[in-house]
Amino acid sequence: MTTVRVEIAEPSQSLTPGQRASLDIVLNMIVPPSADGRMPGAAEVGVPDYLYAEARDALPELCRELDELDRRSLERFARGFAQLQDRERKPLIEEMRAREPSFMSRLAMETLACYYLHDRVLEGLGMEARPPYPKGYQVVQGDLSLLNPVRERGKIYRDAP
Amino acid sequence: MNADVDVLIIGAGASGAAFAWSMADTRMRILCLEQGDWMNPANYPSTRRDWEVRMDREYSPNPNLRRRPEDYPVNDDDSPISVLNFNGVGGSTILYAAHFPRPHPSDFRVRSLDGVADDWPIDYAALEPYYALNDRQMGVAGLAGDPAYPPHEPNLPPIPLGLAGETMGRGFNALGWHWWPSDTAIATQEYEGRAACVNLGPCKSGCAQGAKGSVDITYWPIARRAGVQLRTRCRVREILVDDKDMATGVVYYDERGVEHAQRAEVVVLACNGVGTPRLLLNSRSARFPDGLANRSGLVGRNLMIHPWGMVRGAFDAPLDSHRGPLSCCIWSQQFYETDLSRGFVRGYNMQVTRGLGPVATARMGVARGDIPWGEGHHEAFARRHGRSIGIGICCEDLPEECNTVTLDPVLTDSNGIPAPKITYRLSENTERMLRHGLARGTEVMKAAGAWDVYCEGPVRQTGWHLLGTARMGEDPERSVVNGWGRSHDVKNLFIIDGSVFVTSGGVNPTPTIQAVALYIAAAMKQRLANLFD
Repeated sequence: MTTVRVEIAEPSQSLTPGQRASLDIVLNMIVPPSADGRMPGAAEVGVPDYLYAEARDALPELCRELDELDRRSLERFARGFAQLQDRERKPLIEEMRAREPSFMSRLAMETLACYYLHDRVLEGLGMEARPPYPKGYQVVQGDLSLLNPVRERGKIYRDAP
Repeated sequence: MNADVDVLIIGAGASGAAFAWSMADTRMRILCLEQGDWMNPANYPSTRRDWEVRMDREYSPNPNLRRRPEDYPVNDDDSPISVLNFNGVGGSTILYAAHFPRPHPSDFRVRSLDGVADDWPIDYAALEPYYALNDRQMGVAGLAGDPAYPPHEPNLPPIPLGLAGETMGRGFNALGWHWWPSDTAIATQEYEGRAACVNLGPCKSGCAQGAKGSVDITYWPIARRAGVQLRTRCRVREILVDDKDMATGVVYYDERGVEHAQRAEVVVLACNGVGTPRLLLNSRSARFPDGLANRSGLVGRNLMIHPWGMVRGAFDAPLDSHRGPLSCCIWSQQFYETDLSRGFVRGYNMQVTRGLGPVATARMGVARGDIPWGEGHHEAFARRHGRSIGIGICCEDLPEECNTVTLDPVLTDSNGIPAPKITYRLSENTERMLRHGLARGTEVMKAAGAWDVYCEGPVRQTGWHLLGTARMGEDPERSVVNGWGRSHDVKNLFIIDGSVFVTSGGVNPTPTIQAVALYIAAAMKQRLANLFD
């Protein structure tokens, strides 16, 4: 399996079908769908397109790591990563996190950014899927009488000569 | 060929804008050169769905990450704290939080009161009229009566406490500690043509609403209408001097990299605590082989940067803490004045900040291990998002000559101008102060009801406050400029930014930077007939 698909014109071409299948599994291991169906898994929010747009320099290493994941899966279980059971995948992912902590951390951070920007996710959190501007937000003014004890204690600064 | 000007200001940020506005009534020919450009608020991150991502990229406060064409790199490898800034009309006020505390009167008398560092040649009383003037121009919201300060009246009602501010206020009250709604340069009502704040949140990536007092929308429009010229995308390489030690003007590069000369009767530096010494050190000549105005050897020394601690607590109750001005809420100055029983001299401000957006909540939680991958992710996220509060611990660091801005021997900007190199370390006193602040921050978080608290410090990406590298004083052997900003060595060269600070205080310095700039402008106007004597 080759990993030379680096200079890619379209996100759909950046990963082989096998790599894409493995990536979807890894993404859902980072953020799985919620049991109640309210929150999607990270595989459902367009992470490959996001990576292409925002972290293109990470794609070559992503392809290499997905290939390595598959290679180790084949070596240990005689099946590709996508064909494994969850309990079989977990140690492989943990090994990957230990072997490439920097890359895996970046993949997680980019995945989380993509995930928590997605309409379905924000709506699942009870938030409006919109930019802050122009509508803004309401914030309660708060109870300024809480300051009474501070006032009562009086001046706390020093006079200067 | 550029026409000669009377006053040439380098830098269109907090100090340059205030100074230009004040000088405009002299009707002199005033020109400001700014290496950045005008900002378009329609492009600020808060206008986009991906605002949290954009904040960390082209709107990052770190020039080494932001890498806009107008930025210069900073070598901060030899510092635990990275330099943060913004280059553009408005300077760092484009990205600042607009947290707007004044210092205390004692901050100008640290030698007399506490036996450390040096007193300023000016004091709080001398600056107070300029704080008040600046507050009016910037539009400052707050609540009068704070017992941590001499009386002053903010122009606008305070920003909302929100549930987060109320929660922390109760925590401070439980401990009997001071707290107060922050003074903020945020228009809480329509003010001088500015729209009222609508709690967008990410003030630190530019205010699309125009409610935040950044100087591109406060001082500059008025100064330009009064005749001040502002020329953007002009990066000054060096200041020139004649054989009488008088500045004659500057050499700068325009946007296309074309070199220009600009002559001036007076040169005014407003590039703050890293940009100003960088330019002086890059302006070497036969008469100033160690850098312009540097016969004291103090240009670039005594860098103060306010080491910053961060305490963050998570609460059970929903607080809507991800809404409202992110970095402004309330402050506590319980530990601001010196009390030697704490184990250190001087003190710190506690700046209560609000919660984070969903992306930052998730990223920070996963990075720290508080929010797991896989099973339990959603539950852990829900326990923190909208339910967290931060406290920034802003420590006063004292001037030390070993903390420096020098020129990097290799690194340059896109015009080939040597870049600054930062060498900085925390003193033992500051380390003790920071530990104390983190412990007290943790204590008040728990008193407020936090179920989980973590703290760290110094936080690397917090080097906003760049001070002290061309200090003011009356002794030419021990200072770079006099008590009204004039270089001891070059009589028509003035410095008006944070580099003139003698000590740093323990609060965000923008109000003081601007008050000092207005004070110097007033002093110059009073002496126009004999400015160079």
